[in-house]
Amino acid sequence: MPDTIDTYVRRAAALLVRVILGAVLLGPILALMLYASSTHWFFPHLVPDAWTFAPLLRQLGDPRTRAALGTSLLTAGITTSSALLLGLPAARVLGLRTFRGRSLALLVLFLPNIVPPLAIGMGLNVLLLRLGLAGSVTGVVLVHLVPVLPYTILALLGVFARHDEGYELQARTLGASPRQVWLHVALPLLWPGLAVAALFAFLVSWSQYVLTLLVGGGRVITLPILLFAAVSGGNPTSIAGLALLFAAPPAVAIALAVRALAAGRLSARGVP
Amino acid sequence: MTRITLAGITRSYLRQAAPALAHVSLAVAPGTLLALLGASGSGKSTLLKLVAGVEAPDHGDIAFDGQSVLPVPAHRRRAVLVFQNAYLFPFLSVAENIAFGLRMQGASRATMQAEVRRMLDLVELPGIERARPAQLSGGEQQRVALARALAIRPRVLLLDEPFSSLDPAVRHTLQEAVRRIQRECGITTLLVTHDRGEALAMADRVALLDRGTLLAHDTPQRLFARPPTRRAAHLMGVTTCLRGALADGQLHTSLGVLAVCATGMAAGPAMYAIRPEHMRLAHAPEPNALPVRVLAETFRGEQYEYLLQAGDETIRVHACQPSAAPTYVVLPAEYLFPVCDDAAAPPTRSV
Repeated sequence: MPDTIDTYVRRAAALLVRVILGAVLLGPILALMLYASSTHWFFPHLVPDAWTFAPLLRQLGDPRTRAALGTSLLTAGITTSSALLLGLPAARVLGLRTFRGRSLALLVLFLPNIVPPLAIGMGLNVLLLRLGLAGSVTGVVLVHLVPVLPYTILALLGVFARHDEGYELQARTLGASPRQVWLHVALPLLWPGLAVAALFAFLVSWSQYVLTLLVGGGRVITLPILLFAAVSGGNPTSIAGLALLFAAPPAVAIALAVRALAAGRLSARGVP
Repeated sequence: MTRITLAGITRSYLRQAAPALAHVSLAVAPGTLLALLGASGSGKSTLLKLVAGVEAPDHGDIAFDGQSVLPVPAHRRRAVLVFQNAYLFPFLSVAENIAFGLRMQGASRATMQAEVRRMLDLVELPGIERARPAQLSGGEQQRVALARALAIRPRVLLLDEPFSSLDPAVRHTLQEAVRRIQRECGITTLLVTHDRGEALAMADRVALLDRGTLLAHDTPQRLFARPPTRRAAHLMGVTTCLRGALADGQLHTSLGVLAVCATGMAAGPAMYAIRPEHMRLAHAPEPNALPVRVLAETFRGEQYEYLLQAGDETIRVHACQPSAAPTYVVLPAEYLFPVCDDAAAPPTRSV
């Protein structure tokens, strides 16, 4: 088909959309990078007039930053594994079976995400205080599970909706014990979906601020807590440094999940 | 070789009024192939799942060689299911798929390699060890699934419509391959199918299932020629059943009087059936002929099919040659056979 004015216009429009999207996505990160690697950057300069990595390195070396990074990774990690452990059986039953009260069970599971987190946090804080868990990583993990679990189950529901139990039945009659069926058949089949669910869980937990602040009571310092403190301090360089640090693990997690998804698509292609 | 004995098997499902299986008793001789023939919903797949152990019956017993297997979990029963969907594990190669059962038992690498090669030779697919399931055709996938099932040397092979998703030519060669392998290995096999031709061609014995009950169980030849009941006859492709009163070797029907073979039959109400290819079209009255009107004529390749109206009955006749406006249909006495009337309600779907 010969190129007409119409196709040129379309191509130009597509290019424009891509440029705008790229600018919207990468622009802020670029700005953060520039901020993080400069000491002075004021109007009307288009780029910083002095370049240095010293503040960023100092910040990375700061024990408080390191501790916060560790706490964040720990909290999000434990929350993710707990959510998967709790969510898998629930999603399996909800995704594969139809039974009376299924809609009600779904509603109850998603209820925590309808109520504002502040309301939940206040109530849970009282409970966790009584249990002596306020201000501990355990308490923070428990309170993170409230918003994380519904998202995890939602992601896993889709996984199980596409899951054919015939493979497991087949494996059983071939002599695989229930444990072997899970390890050698169900897990490899479900793996791409599990990666996505884990990613959701990790991201939701990683970016919690209000709940961590309420239940952590200033004793559990995660990166968002540190970041908010820095924002109120108003030093653009340290804000930018922390923000980059905050954004790095989710970016890595998303990249890994995309790879897992691509691998899953590859191995599942063409199978009836 | 294993003998399978089913005794009084009953299985119901929640939210289903009628049981999927009701009091099914059946014995399968060691090393033979039994075909379970029935329409969808007749309970034949349920029966297979019960034998495999992935479901448990409500009542009754399942025994291999006289020993109940109900306490044995599915993974120790050595009764392998092969489904319509081959269910090859997509994340494993062909060789790894075939060795799956052996790997679960903790077999050595050398054993697995030797067994995989032996099995691929058996299903006539040598040298495809490294292929991925997605690279195989439907027929090849089923052969690999069969190899994987046989690799664990099962006591019982359970085939759940394994050919129904294949095109006719592939289906035919695979049916022959399965029959050859089953005979070579001497493995007791249950084959579930809704294809009458497949059941008759492959099985040593055929069991007819309809709405959860066992209608008949016999050799393919006897079941084809003399299905004992009306529903069994229907499953065997007999559509003409005539009700009447039997007296002096004659059946008095509303359509006319027919001479029948009445040895061993008591006088009184009776029902006789005849296969569609055993009837003959005629243009003049003769003994055992009924006057008819042609409703439809269909060319089916091997035969012509005539739909005839005789009184208030419709009769389906298969003829080798076309016949110009026949006015009579002849029901030879030697082909009319008595059937029990077990059809409280006529089966909703023929097979």
